[in-house]
Amino acid sequence: MRSAALSVLLIAAGCAAPADAPRAQSATPADTPRAQTAPPADKPRAKVVPAVARPAPVAPAAREAPKPAATLDVAALTERLRNTDAIGLFTKLALKNQLDDLLQQVRAQHQGGGKDGVTALRQPYDMLVLKVLAVVQDGDPSLARTISGSREALWGILADPVKFNALA
Amino acid sequence: MTLSARAAALLVPFALCAAPPASAAEDPALLKDLTAVLMLLAMPCGGVLNAVRQADNAHIATCKDGSRYRVYVNAEGRAAAQKL
Repeated sequence: MRSAALSVLLIAAGCAAPADAPRAQSATPADTPRAQTAPPADKPRAKVVPAVARPAPVAPAAREAPKPAATLDVAALTERLRNTDAIGLFTKLALKNQLDDLLQQVRAQHQGGGKDGVTALRQPYDMLVLKVLAVVQDGDPSLARTISGSREALWGILADPVKFNALA
Repeated sequence: MTLSARAAALLVPFALCAAPPASAAEDPALLKDLTAVLMLLAMPCGGVLNAVRQADNAHIATCKDGSRYRVYVNAEGRAAAQKL
């Protein structure tokens, strides 16, 4: 009875042992030398696999990074909209009108002082960007992607008094 | 009045009647442009089906929902639309 209880305790102790140990214990006696040599073999594998895997996803990401980095400033955006064939004359004129209106509002806020005023123009700015995307995306997807990627950069220019004044 | 002059006097009115109206009703690019302008101006339209050119930079646009707009460039050089 005591020996049986001791054997049960030993088995239970073996099951509660760390993960590596049961594998080595569950391995056949013929594999024990392998089990002994396995950890050193695993270590280089552990080192090699991440080293091989990581550069692969980084490279295409690094290659794709320059594409979104092609952001526009206000002058470049105006020029692209003026030259695109995706929209007609009336649409270009309407967009120009609304862009000029927004710029006037931003200029007034900068001259009046206070960052909160410019912040309040963020929603109208976003709406204008959405309108531009809506009319351009079908005929000029490239321009639409560029505008979409430049949204934050453009707002950064408009919201900063120094950068905004440099536009004029 | 010679015969040729009489023939011309009879044929010219018919020629004028048969001539197409001075409009760009079926130009898809123009219809798309006017549709986009009305959308930008927040005018309910649903899409321009027909457009008739009135004068330089002015068009009468007929929309899918039956509304009609005069789309033009005002004195300030801004694109504008007036519901008819």
